[in-house]
Amino acid sequence: MTEQIPEPDHGTTGSAASELAATVSADTGSAVAATADVAGAEAGQPDGTAETASVGRWHFLKYGAAAGLGALALGGLGGAAPAQATAAGLRSPARSAPSTVRAPGIAPAGRAPANNTQANNTQAGGTQAGAATGTRPSAVVPIPGVLDLYINEGYLKMVDDSLVYHRGFGDRPTGLRDASPSLAVVPKVFTADGRLEESRTYPLGAALPPRGTPLPYGPDPANPGQYFIRRNHWASYFPARNIIAETGSMLRFRVHNRLAKEHEFVLHDVGPNHADAGTGPIAPGQSALLELPCPPAGTYIYTDPTNAPVERTLGLFGALVVMDPVHQWDITPGKASFERQWVWMCHAVESNWASIEAAGGTVDPLQTKAVPRYFTLNGRSGYESLAMTRNDALNLASEEETLVSGYPRQLDVRQFGEGSTAGTLRGGQLVRLINPGIVYHQIHFHGNHLWTVRRNNYHWPRSDGYVDQQGHVVLQQWEDVVELEPMDRKDCIIPVKRPPDSLEQVWNARTTDWEYPMHCHAEPSQTAAGGMYPGGLVAHWNLKAPIPWEGA
Amino acid sequence: MSNVTVPLRRDPDDRKSTKQAEREAEQARKRAAEERKRQEAERKRDEAARKREEDRKKREAEARKKKDDDDRKRRGKPTTAPTPKPTSAPTPRPTAQPTPQPTASATAGPTQQPTPQPTEAPTSSPTGEPSAGPTDGPSEQPTPEPSQQPTQQPTRGPRPDDDEMPRHRFRSQVDFSSDQLDLDRPVTEFRQTPHSSVYLEVFNRDLRFDDGATFEMWSFDSPQSGRGFPGPLIRPLEGEIFHATVHPSMGPHTIHWHGLEPDPRNDGVGHTSFEIGGTYTYQWAPEPGRPGDPNYGAAGTYFYHCHVNTVLHAQMGMFGPVIVDPVVHPDYPVTPGARRAFVDGPEYDIDTESIVIPYSLDPRWHEMHHAAGLSGEDVGLNRFEPKHFYLIGGELTRRRSGDNRVWSLSALRANVAGGAKKPTLLRILNANYLPNHMHFTTADGEPVRMAELIAHDGRPFRDTSVPGAPAPTCREAGYPLLTSVLAFGAAERYDVILHPPEPGEYRLRVEWEDWITGEILGVREVPITAA
Ligand SMILES: [Cu+2]
Ligand SMILES: [Cu+2]
Repeated sequence: MTEQIPEPDHGTTGSAASELAATVSADTGSAVAATADVAGAEAGQPDGTAETASVGRWHFLKYGAAAGLGALALGGLGGAAPAQATAAGLRSPARSAPSTVRAPGIAPAGRAPANNTQANNTQAGGTQAGAATGTRPSAVVPIPGVLDLYINEGYLKMVDDSLVYHRGFGDRPTGLRDASPSLAVVPKVFTADGRLEESRTYPLGAALPPRGTPLPYGPDPANPGQYFIRRNHWASYFPARNIIAETGSMLRFRVHNRLAKEHEFVLHDVGPNHADAGTGPIAPGQSALLELPCPPAGTYIYTDPTNAPVERTLGLFGALVVMDPVHQWDITPGKASFERQWVWMCHAVESNWASIEAAGGTVDPLQTKAVPRYFTLNGRSGYESLAMTRNDALNLASEEETLVSGYPRQLDVRQFGEGSTAGTLRGGQLVRLINPGIVYHQIHFHGNHLWTVRRNNYHWPRSDGYVDQQGHVVLQQWEDVVELEPMDRKDCIIPVKRPPDSLEQVWNARTTDWEYPMHCHAEPSQTAAGGMYPGGLVAHWNLKAPIPWEGA
Repeated sequence: MSNVTVPLRRDPDDRKSTKQAEREAEQARKRAAEERKRQEAERKRDEAARKREEDRKKREAEARKKKDDDDRKRRGKPTTAPTPKPTSAPTPRPTAQPTPQPTASATAGPTQQPTPQPTEAPTSSPTGEPSAGPTDGPSEQPTPEPSQQPTQQPTRGPRPDDDEMPRHRFRSQVDFSSDQLDLDRPVTEFRQTPHSSVYLEVFNRDLRFDDGATFEMWSFDSPQSGRGFPGPLIRPLEGEIFHATVHPSMGPHTIHWHGLEPDPRNDGVGHTSFEIGGTYTYQWAPEPGRPGDPNYGAAGTYFYHCHVNTVLHAQMGMFGPVIVDPVVHPDYPVTPGARRAFVDGPEYDIDTESIVIPYSLDPRWHEMHHAAGLSGEDVGLNRFEPKHFYLIGGELTRRRSGDNRVWSLSALRANVAGGAKKPTLLRILNANYLPNHMHFTTADGEPVRMAELIAHDGRPFRDTSVPGAPAPTCREAGYPLLTSVLAFGAAERYDVILHPPEPGEYRLRVEWEDWITGEILGVREVPITAA
């Protein structure tokens, strides 16, 4: 198995391997264990300068935790505070001795769930009551501006109701048998002015689109049945596992390894020359700090790269979206403006790997070939992703976070920007396609082609395009299928326009929403548990019906 | 943080008018009533679901039995049933390697006779006024205005709550998978007189591939095409109304026009519209292109495929190519013997126009039944482990019709610049589930930058750097997208002009890669003769 190195696709040949990591032992509380590991001799300047310069921005990143702890201490918290808080939190009774946690408790639960759907449904509630401590492990004392990530484990219900063992970066400590384990963060925002806010929506304070759908500004008189779109108005909902950061902010993480093996938290591609930044390995029961300046506006992935891609596949992944606080509706200042944005995280669940790890084993990805059994989009599959369940809250979450929707509009791909009427936008919606999973996805939209503008934060040109060494076209373009390799990110504009090949008569007579599928065309990803089409990585997008306009 | 619920007012004032408040109350009442109705419908639905499940099991058992019987007849040996056993671990069963056998013998296609052409004649009026004839659509009245109802329902349009409602709510994924809406005779709304039309049926039979292996394939055939693989080429013109009447058999199917973008009823997707039990006429009109305009035009390469249990049905062969030809614009006249790839696109030589379709085949899948997996049984459709790798296609004007043919690509021709002929256009369609690389090389395998990518997924590559100004093609803008290698994957299409530097022999090599490891699983090569 070849783990995908994030392919920068830039002019530079992208030596993405340089990983700059640093850890601090939480127990000692001192800034000792900084291991700045500069792998793979970097090309030229960045390192040289970093070595010799005094404390630059990059220094923070490079010596992450060590430098970070100092900064935190200066921030008025008292030098010892973080460490003590951390240590106390981790010494909760249930988790004190990593070696004992594993063996007896896990074996039965670890084996059974995957297919015995009935039995294990009831299990979730029951086992919690029966758990050793009877209470949840307590969280550490928070530090303002610092995001605590807990590396937890637990069982997640798949779309066919079977339970599969997962790990994840949660935002509260939970135990293996927790009925609702924290394996993904509720979205958090690092603001440019130094706050850390929990919010499913961004920009903070912007109007919330009802059921996720931005409503239009008004009818477009020149194009009956179409609408003017509000510019710089609607907030976007973000799915769990998402961290948002504003450029100019300082990202501060405190990562708590609550599991029995070493783990690590790494933000990929956030440094110069696509360097990664991470905590370095964190021993069981330990915590580590990571502090780094916010990278440029774009889409990033964080993972635990340990035993890649195994820990990531078990659920230790997420996305970081960086926005410019002055241009909150632009991909990056001066580039494509959008009405609202959608984050689509693809993932493939390997339940066999999960079983091996749940039973205390370690998967060798070369020996045990991955055969993913579930395929998720923003953590949901099939009818759950499509908001067709009988659980209103679940449906609403899917509609807000995943199911693209909007009113038809006229636009021109040559420029996504201000409309002719003040307060309006000529543009579509941004879909950030992110693949922290292990399979090559082929994201296909019905109803509208997508206009792809970026890959891995490299802005594709509109002029002087070319075909790169691997055979990919580097030029902004229309696509109805967007390739998404493992660890790739692509930013696409869905125009939300009249489906071009529909008949005039049919278009003019429409009274209901037009709903179109989106699915991965690498079709095995459309299954769940070996069948149940369409039970995998699917979504819809919704072209809203005309509104009888007030006074129009 | 303001949660705007009634933002459909231009005026930023938040206070609601009394009228508006009344409307909202009325809306709320309506929603409550709808909710009651919906719950009642769901209750009924649950009851029905139980019965359906029983019926389905019975039907499946019958289908399996029938398939076994067919298999026995066909192969002269008993075949094991497709084991809908919910086994826990996805244990890879040894894939039964079907022994190559001559195919011509027993026809497996159970039901269908070549039914005669349906109602509408394929009138090909060149400049026809298509809007004229709202012919035989029974109920529909062209109501061009959205009805002006006083109720304002911005987020949820009024929904019919009968069985045509696309967005049902389901108890489980199995319910959803096994309960697609199957309509016998759905109506083509605003049915017009078409400029071109095709009649398609579904068949299954054993077909022999160019490596001698024989597999059960399912595909589409027209009265002219014969029953081969893939389905016949469909080639409508931009701006014209196109009809495809499909009469499925062996269970419900649909036709999805991949990359073409009609309304949802004509998009051919089971779970957003309906599956077709009886017959349906799809209707759409590819959007005409405008020179220099990146926002318009459908000319290019597409394909159609079944969108029911797609993972299986597409692999079984239920697809065929679609090419949309451009309107002819007075500024872009066309030389005899040539055509344009899109309205202001390059001219190419009709005689050597070709298509290459990478396709790979997992023999295990070709033993399954129509609805495999839909009732929740683990049939291993998450494991696509192809053992055979094929290049399908050839020169478009030379595909032979007739039964039992697999359209295998054995060689390509390419015109060399300087002669009287326009260059050769190669259309690439990925009908495969794996990532591919395609290489253009010399006979010795050295890369040759002879492929100019001019369009992708039915849309030209253009320079869009100047807002408001015409967007020329990349070649016109001075940077033709020349390459010796192309990376692409499932369902993507590329249109490529071939520029062999001199006469002689070149090679086209296609590699299939594992969808997780990227490891090369299969390679095929064909010669390109440049003259
Ligand atoms: Cu589709
Ligand atoms: Cu398709």
